[in-house]
Amino acid sequence: MARWPRRSRTGATSVGGRARGMAAALLAVALLAAACATSDASKTGDTGSRIVAVGAENEYGNVISQIGGPYVSVTSIMSNPNTDPHTFESSPSVAEVVSSAQLVVQNGLGYDTFMNRIEAASPDPARRVIDVQDLLHLPSDTPNPHLWYKPTTMPAVARAIATDLSSLDPAHRSYFMDELERFDQSLVPWDQAIAALKADFPGTPVAVTEPVADYMLAAAGADIRTPWVLQADIMNGVDPPPQDVTAEQQLFSRHQVKVFLYNQQVTDSLTASFLATAKQDGIPVVGVYETMPTPGYDYQSWMMAEVHALRDAIVYHVSTQRL
Amino acid sequence: MGQMSTLVFAPGFFHSGAVGVAVAVGGAVAVVSACVGVFTVIRGQSFAGHALSDVATTGGSGAFVLGVSPLTGYVVLGLAAAAAMDLVGIQRARGRDVATGIVLGAGLGLSALFLYFDTTMRATTGATMTILFGSMFAISSSTIPLIAVLAAVALGVTALVYRPLMLSSLDQEIARAAGVPVRLVGVLYLLGLAIAVALSAVTIGAILSTALLVGPAATALRISRRPATALALASLIGVGSVWLGIVLAYDSFYWPPRGHGWPVSFFVVTLVFVFYLFTEARVLHRLARSRAALARLAARFAVHRQARIQAGG
Repeated sequence: MARWPRRSRTGATSVGGRARGMAAALLAVALLAAACATSDASKTGDTGSRIVAVGAENEYGNVISQIGGPYVSVTSIMSNPNTDPHTFESSPSVAEVVSSAQLVVQNGLGYDTFMNRIEAASPDPARRVIDVQDLLHLPSDTPNPHLWYKPTTMPAVARAIATDLSSLDPAHRSYFMDELERFDQSLVPWDQAIAALKADFPGTPVAVTEPVADYMLAAAGADIRTPWVLQADIMNGVDPPPQDVTAEQQLFSRHQVKVFLYNQQVTDSLTASFLATAKQDGIPVVGVYETMPTPGYDYQSWMMAEVHALRDAIVYHVSTQRL
Repeated sequence: MGQMSTLVFAPGFFHSGAVGVAVAVGGAVAVVSACVGVFTVIRGQSFAGHALSDVATTGGSGAFVLGVSPLTGYVVLGLAAAAAMDLVGIQRARGRDVATGIVLGAGLGLSALFLYFDTTMRATTGATMTILFGSMFAISSSTIPLIAVLAAVALGVTALVYRPLMLSSLDQEIARAAGVPVRLVGVLYLLGLAIAVALSAVTIGAILSTALLVGPAATALRISRRPATALALASLIGVGSVWLGIVLAYDSFYWPPRGHGWPVSFFVVTLVFVFYLFTEARVLHRLARSRAALARLAARFAVHRQARIQAGG
């Protein structure tokens, strides 16, 4: 199965590329992009003697910041809530940031393949790369790449970050380990909220647009009624079969689902029509995200907000379309 | 009979909203494309039609960047390109293929930039597939009124100037001598062409839209040289290709890879091609028959000659 075909236009990732003209064209596009868009790379503080770290997605960048505190300088590559990370195209400035990084955290599972290419283009044996897919020993045909919605993911990632930071900066090992402890503790309310949802409303039928929050829904014991092919097709930007479109619409019109989880970062006329149908049929909508909505959220509070929104939708039929 | 119909139409075909919209819009678009396409083929401007569809790609991708409906983008840029073609002088466009080719290349280049912005800065993930190859099963029902109005305008204009348009398409000099306002008729034709390409882009995609414009028309003109018959035949072939394509695409849900369904644009364009091949076979057959007749004639001639030589010698 060829997933994320739209990531295949790779021109922009070849830094120090072939022809000078091409480089100039890329630079022009990059400058234009920087001028037009809100900045995709958000830096926290200046560098100095701190460990330079990169999170391919800002949720991973956020966890690096939480563990490393003042001893790391973190850059997140994908942080624009108005874009679809699946289709992110790298630029020379991103390549520069990654090539100088000592620690990189990336999702894997084809979600951020451009990171592998940049790392290969600027090999550095001292650079530590935490690939979350590898960390969790997931096979590469794992269909759902949105690992950060899985309750067991971030504790493992945080532990790996703390270990790597400790070997990069042994003097502050105890600080990193304390922060790891604090981070794990701070996730307890989220775990409890998910467990409570599962206990109070087992098997709640829900509809989704794509599998963004599926891991969390599974942990909460929800029953995802949307056909998998529809979810995968919307994620991959191809047209789903009409049979599945009809199935999804019937979930709303026949009131077979209690909540509709809508991915705010991957939308088209079809998802918009699902949203309209759900609202018309009085199905509460909960917005979910590929990257951490900023400002105002850290990883924990974001995940907590999603569970609260889900609970509000089930109990009070209240929509939380945007966090 | 019931079993037969479920064999052809997979379960749920007649109850699917997406299929209903596709059948209605696809049918209307096929008729518009076929009717305008007959004139395009007679005028020998298939390449201009293709250039227009490539420029429409720019409009569609630009519309996604601006967050408006791609149909608006197709129509606006299609009309702009048609106006430019008229200014450049499309009547002489047969000698201007190079210029047309360069302009459409630039248009596609601009599309690449817009699609880059679409996918990197907006949450429009499927934009590239939708613009290039269409999304017939994902046409929003809110665009149906606009599609209906555009189709009516294109068909209305074509019907209004049918006779002068046909005359000037067949022979411009005779038309001019007969007092036909050739330039005005040409402009109205380009308006129809721009709309046909835009509508076709919504259904089978901007890149493929020429297939629906030129394919059925060319096939019909091979079967009949009578304009009215060709128009009817082209419409029939166009609608047949689109509707049969929709049925096959719906049924392909049960083909491997099971539960996915093949793209409807593939079926439509392939069917257009298959219809064309049928007439090609007919023409080849006729040609083969005339070759055989020629051979018989030559043989008879040789026999006579031989006899004359023998008589003379």
